[in-house]
Amino acid sequence: MNRVKQLLLGLGFAVIGMSIVALPVAAAGYDSTTEALIQSLNLKLLYVAVPITILVEGILIYTVWRFRNNDDPKPTKENRRLEITWTVATAIILLFVGVASYQVLALPAVTATPQVTDSEQANATEVTVVGQQFLWTFKYPEENVTSRGTLVLPANRTVYLNITSRDVIHSVHIPELGLKQDAVPGQYNLLRTTPTSQGTYQLYCAEYCGVGHSQMTATVKVVSYDEYQQWLEDQKQSQ
Amino acid sequence: MISGLTPLAVTSVTTSVALTVSMGLVLVAMIVWLARVEDIRSYVPASDIGGGAGQTEYGHEEKPGGITRWLTTVDHKDIGVLYGVYSVITLAWGGLSVLIMRTELLDPPATLIQSTTYNALLTSHGITLLFLFGTPILAAFANYFVPLLIGADDMAFPRINSIAFWLLPPGALLIWAGFFIPGIAPSQTSWTMYTPLSIQQPSPAVDLMLLGLHLTGVSATMGAINFIATIFTERAEEVDWANLDIFSWTVLTQSGLILFSFPLLGSALVMLLLDRNFGTTFFTVGGGGPLLWQNLFWFFGHPEVYIIVLPPMGLISIILPKFSGRKLFGFKFVVYSTLAIGVLSFGVWAHHMFATGMDPRLRASFMAVTLAIAVPSAVKTFNWMTTMWNGRLRLTAPMLFCIGFVSLFIIGGVTGVFLASIPVDLVLTDTYYVVGHFHFILMAILTAVFAGVYYWFPLYTGKWYQRGLAKWHFWLFMIGSNLTFFAMILLGYAGMPRRYATYNVDIGPVAQFTDLHQVATLGAYLIGLSGIIFLWNIVQSWLEGPPVQSSDPWELAEDGLLTNEWQWFDHQRETAITDGGAESEETDTDTDDNSEETA
Repeated sequence: MNRVKQLLLGLGFAVIGMSIVALPVAAAGYDSTTEALIQSLNLKLLYVAVPITILVEGILIYTVWRFRNNDDPKPTKENRRLEITWTVATAIILLFVGVASYQVLALPAVTATPQVTDSEQANATEVTVVGQQFLWTFKYPEENVTSRGTLVLPANRTVYLNITSRDVIHSVHIPELGLKQDAVPGQYNLLRTTPTSQGTYQLYCAEYCGVGHSQMTATVKVVSYDEYQQWLEDQKQSQ
Repeated sequence: MISGLTPLAVTSVTTSVALTVSMGLVLVAMIVWLARVEDIRSYVPASDIGGGAGQTEYGHEEKPGGITRWLTTVDHKDIGVLYGVYSVITLAWGGLSVLIMRTELLDPPATLIQSTTYNALLTSHGITLLFLFGTPILAAFANYFVPLLIGADDMAFPRINSIAFWLLPPGALLIWAGFFIPGIAPSQTSWTMYTPLSIQQPSPAVDLMLLGLHLTGVSATMGAINFIATIFTERAEEVDWANLDIFSWTVLTQSGLILFSFPLLGSALVMLLLDRNFGTTFFTVGGGGPLLWQNLFWFFGHPEVYIIVLPPMGLISIILPKFSGRKLFGFKFVVYSTLAIGVLSFGVWAHHMFATGMDPRLRASFMAVTLAIAVPSAVKTFNWMTTMWNGRLRLTAPMLFCIGFVSLFIIGGVTGVFLASIPVDLVLTDTYYVVGHFHFILMAILTAVFAGVYYWFPLYTGKWYQRGLAKWHFWLFMIGSNLTFFAMILLGYAGMPRRYATYNVDIGPVAQFTDLHQVATLGAYLIGLSGIIFLWNIVQSWLEGPPVQSSDPWELAEDGLLTNEWQWFDHQRETAITDGGAESEETDTDTDDNSEETA
């Protein structure tokens, strides 16, 4: 029994060591506050999940290898303590997942609530995002600007996206900014984030919406504030 | 003429009715034709065992021969076989449809098929495998073995049992109608049928599909009532609640779930049909709202997941100990966790809707219950592994598939926990990650089905399958599954949305998508190949395999693990063997039929 314990312990440490090396250390390179929060939570969960998965699968394979053609099977004995132990252990791990998720969930960059203070509103960019088969329209109500297929956002400023649909359900999905929210006809869903690095990102429709679903994409450009102002001016000229 | 009915609605109703009537006529014509056909190759069993022990002179008195027997049977074992044959056909179509899709996804643009065809196939793939394969294949096992395991003569309501099965073939034809009725487009609603898209699609194929789904729902509900009645009232004297076998427990729990969820799906389907054809506003923006459909659908849909995973868990719990040479570890806890899953499964449906803008406080409570339901699932896994520990493992085909089940189920479970965490789910939902996650679970379910097919093969055919082919089947299936669905997990992390016919995007990581899709397609071909091997093995062995020489073909008696169904098998063989002299050869033939399989 002692040898088995030692072996398991060794196996466990080996697995944890391996997975720490193997996991992507992508702590840098987040492109928005939302993505930073969600991806770091995801990484936290991976650090727990990957070792556990490899360990359990390892024990499974070891069990098969060790006890195949074993000539004297021992009869099964009830072991209530063991049962309760692993039930509680599983519950504790899942409790950790729940608490960690809840802490991130409660932040406005993940779960947006309508803005409260005027100072926030003054500096924030508001965009109404309208999905329709099979096209995205972006309206800047304060600027009276409408853009089709291209969403331009200033970097390092709070952005509110008011998302709705004109026909069926669509979903705004910008994986590199960690954003997803369904566009449901008859209601407005709010997303709030602060893009932190300039660049061009892909916006997909993530809710199946018919024949053009996979072509219903848009471009998201995160630019400096000056460029953003310039872009708005150009749009006003051309409209 | 009902007021408020648009001319368009009238025409679509009349086409639907006309199509339904013609479908019925086609079915009747087929039955008449089949009844007239002679020389159909079908076995006439000795007594009522599935063809195991050869011909005897008094096998024909109990049942009519040929096709008539199968059309009129009310015997639970025959109905189990019917369910099984039906499920193999639907499995073939489900697999074929996805192989076409995966071939299309080898490169980003639409090269092989149009987007419309792709969408029709993805709809058919999901609905076929969940409704026409998943539930019926489990009914096949439950029908055949629950009465044997609990010592009942038959099901509580044999005729209702028969009706429940015969509702399925017309259901399948209605669901697939769009593919073979010329002039109407196949349904492209996706299996979740989200409104308003499903209301908007004009093709009458959608209405036919909804009617077909309704039939399968009625069928499942009838079956469930039957199983509950059977397990409660038809048990033999010596079988009480304390020693009821684990498979029957899972079937009982599953039937309870069906009873509470399928009727609700039926109501939702009727509401959708009314919205489509009679201008009601159950799911429209001015009326109940589009999200009402999602709430109703997933209130059925998540229990459905457990409806199709609990009996496979029961299969594993019954088969795995047999080849570990010891009893199931923690039997009571496995039963408790089954019941816990059954209860909790009704409290998690909104985790499919975290991105719909629902109330954040509600979301958090659904996250809590979703995490809670992972506990009993993990407990089961640990129980199976502890059962193997210190045992005598015989790596036969059923055992290999049991081990495969546990390994796939672990990955499916862990990936599911990530989706339970709302912030992570917001990024991953509606991407290939979700598809990868639930296919790990579904592939685990398939392995359990294969384990059951191989384990009881001697019992329902009286023949042996080909063990070499079964090994090939196992390894190809496992390697293929892991390749395909692990690639999908990575695709999801890269942001690839699901249900995309094309992925020639301009900014997204197209090269990475392409590579991962090609890996997934390779895996899918391996799974397809394993399926062909399986089919060949089953059919050929059933027709021409070596007969079983013993009534304990797996040598379970020496470990004290012989269960009721093998005692029934023994009894059948005794009544079938007219000459008792054949018994003495058993020992010789056993050694080559059923020698230990070593890797």
